[in-house]
Amino acid sequence: MIEISDLIYTWQNHERPTLQIKQLQIGDGEKVFLHGPSGSGKSTLLGLLAGITPIQQGSIKVLEQSLEKLSSAKRDRFRADHIGTIFQNFNLLPYLSPLENVTLGCEFSPKRRQKACAERNNVTAQAHHLLNALGLDGSLLSRSVSALSIGQQQRVAAARAFIGQPEVIIADEPTSALDADTREAFITTLFEQAKKYQATVIFVSHDKSLSHLFDRKISLPSINEANL
Amino acid sequence: MTLLKLALKSCWNRRTSVLLTFFTIAISVMLLLSIERVRMGAKSSFSNTISGTDLIVGARTGDIQLLLSSVFRIGHNNNAVSWQSYQDIKHRKGVAWTIPISLGDSHKGYAVLGTDSSYFDHYRYGKKQALQFQAGRAFHNGKEVVLGSEVADKLGYHLGQNIVISHGMGNTSFHHHDDNPMTIVGILAPTGTPVDKTLHIPLIAVDMIHASASAPRAITRKQVTGNDPHEHDPHDDHHHNHAHGSLDSEPSDLVGNPKQITAFLMGFDSPLYTLQVRRNINQYKGEPLLAIMPTVTLKELWEMLDIVEKLLLLFSIVVVIISLLGMLTTLLATLSQRRRELAILRSVGARPWHIFSLLSFEATIITLLGCVSGTVLFYTGLFVIMPVLQSQFGVNLSMAPLSPYELTLLGGIMLSGTLMGLIPAARAYYYSLADGMSIKI
Repeated sequence: MIEISDLIYTWQNHERPTLQIKQLQIGDGEKVFLHGPSGSGKSTLLGLLAGITPIQQGSIKVLEQSLEKLSSAKRDRFRADHIGTIFQNFNLLPYLSPLENVTLGCEFSPKRRQKACAERNNVTAQAHHLLNALGLDGSLLSRSVSALSIGQQQRVAAARAFIGQPEVIIADEPTSALDADTREAFITTLFEQAKKYQATVIFVSHDKSLSHLFDRKISLPSINEANL
Repeated sequence: MTLLKLALKSCWNRRTSVLLTFFTIAISVMLLLSIERVRMGAKSSFSNTISGTDLIVGARTGDIQLLLSSVFRIGHNNNAVSWQSYQDIKHRKGVAWTIPISLGDSHKGYAVLGTDSSYFDHYRYGKKQALQFQAGRAFHNGKEVVLGSEVADKLGYHLGQNIVISHGMGNTSFHHHDDNPMTIVGILAPTGTPVDKTLHIPLIAVDMIHASASAPRAITRKQVTGNDPHEHDPHDDHHHNHAHGSLDSEPSDLVGNPKQITAFLMGFDSPLYTLQVRRNINQYKGEPLLAIMPTVTLKELWEMLDIVEKLLLLFSIVVVIISLLGMLTTLLATLSQRRRELAILRSVGARPWHIFSLLSFEATIITLLGCVSGTVLFYTGLFVIMPVLQSQFGVNLSMAPLSPYELTLLGGIMLSGTLMGLIPAARAYYYSLADGMSIKI
């Protein structure tokens, strides 16, 4: 599924590499908890995995595709087709309705649009379905995004990540703005959807209290040789 | 949902600043179009003031001064041309027609012009258009007056009415001659030239006014009739006795025996004579005279005024540039707040060039809306101000569709607006490459 080998990444104007990973494999449908303090290279790794940051040295294979061999335009297309992202907070475009924010996940990927349409008749119906499945009732969906609570916003973001069944979900501390009660509920619903669509989840957090929910825990400092 | 739709929604989300920007562009576009059209209108009204006249002859003064006083009734020419010289030049070879002009009097602020019937036969304005009567006819005798359209309109005069014309340029006169009224026998159709603001009287009447201003009436009469050897008395009592004047008067002498006139207009059989006669007049032995070619002098005068017009155009272009720079400022200022928006779009697969297009669309949309609204505002304003400009300044503006030149101006604004949009777009492009997946505020 995801295979990293001999990866070295050095940011511009930095003398030493930020990231140096010899070997990392993540299997199909695995739910991985990636933790590490800030500055341990989490964001850098996610940027590389998502194909936004070009790979300098080494190799990352996602879905049998070597990212380092793709041009930046092709990496963008690859991301649009295969990767759903949930950010820490303020995931939504304020000028779109919650529903439009979800369908935005298909805007740049005909493939995901096709999959969404295959499941329900059209993208909007699928977005509706996902939002309901993630526990948001219909009355909220056409409201302004700013009228939603942070928890609700994160659910909308999750629906956007899942629409069109991307194979990989990258979640960058999506629960850090939530209170303890809603955190677990959010992760549980996230997993339900991930199971349904057989998606691999890479969940980044510095909050170890959540780690028991995951199949596998990876401590970034322990695999990142750059910090040694 | 295309990028365009995203751009529109994003603009709408920031509508306060976007609307303000859009509004400044709309106003600047309106200003530019208005100034351009007024410029064109003024130019054409100006050059259409007189046409078909080959020479204007007056006492020696500046070219432009003579043009201003004889055609625009601006300023006052103190010197005059003697009637003798006029008769002499009039009968030279090649002269097709002449129109004597005697200025210097006014009626309620409107210029009074003494002339003869040749004025209505030969005077041309615009594209060699002859004067038309809106009502009535030309004057037939020394007690009749023909009004320009605006004079009749503003003063509420009508055919057959008796009015008093007094001596001098002022609005009021010390001398009241209610016993020496003139009958309105004709009103000219509007021309958009100073003719509209003129009262036309026979030359003989000018003498009468001047004589009655300086002498008792009885003597005036005697003087005028005494000097008039070849016609019957032009102001017999029966003209006085018609309460509303008579429109079916007999033609009689219109010239009388003037000593001098202010200027005269000349037309020639062939343009070949123009330069020759002009030279002769400028070297005239009898008295110092000046002959000008109105088309040439009009052009000179316009070139003097044109600097002002060009300056106005320049200013309005600067205003447009400032409004576009305002847009640039607004877009750049909000850009850093929008880095999150850009990162989200990148995360769902938008490529850097999507981000670039999104930002440049915004500038294009704002400029386009500004141009369209500015044009609408311009036509609305034109509709409102057209009658005012026409009546107050004699400037004819047309509601005509945008001329190729005006469209070029709008195209230039669109192009500049779009080009300015490339600056924030390029910045956003750079941000979207540099920020990667992390959201930086």
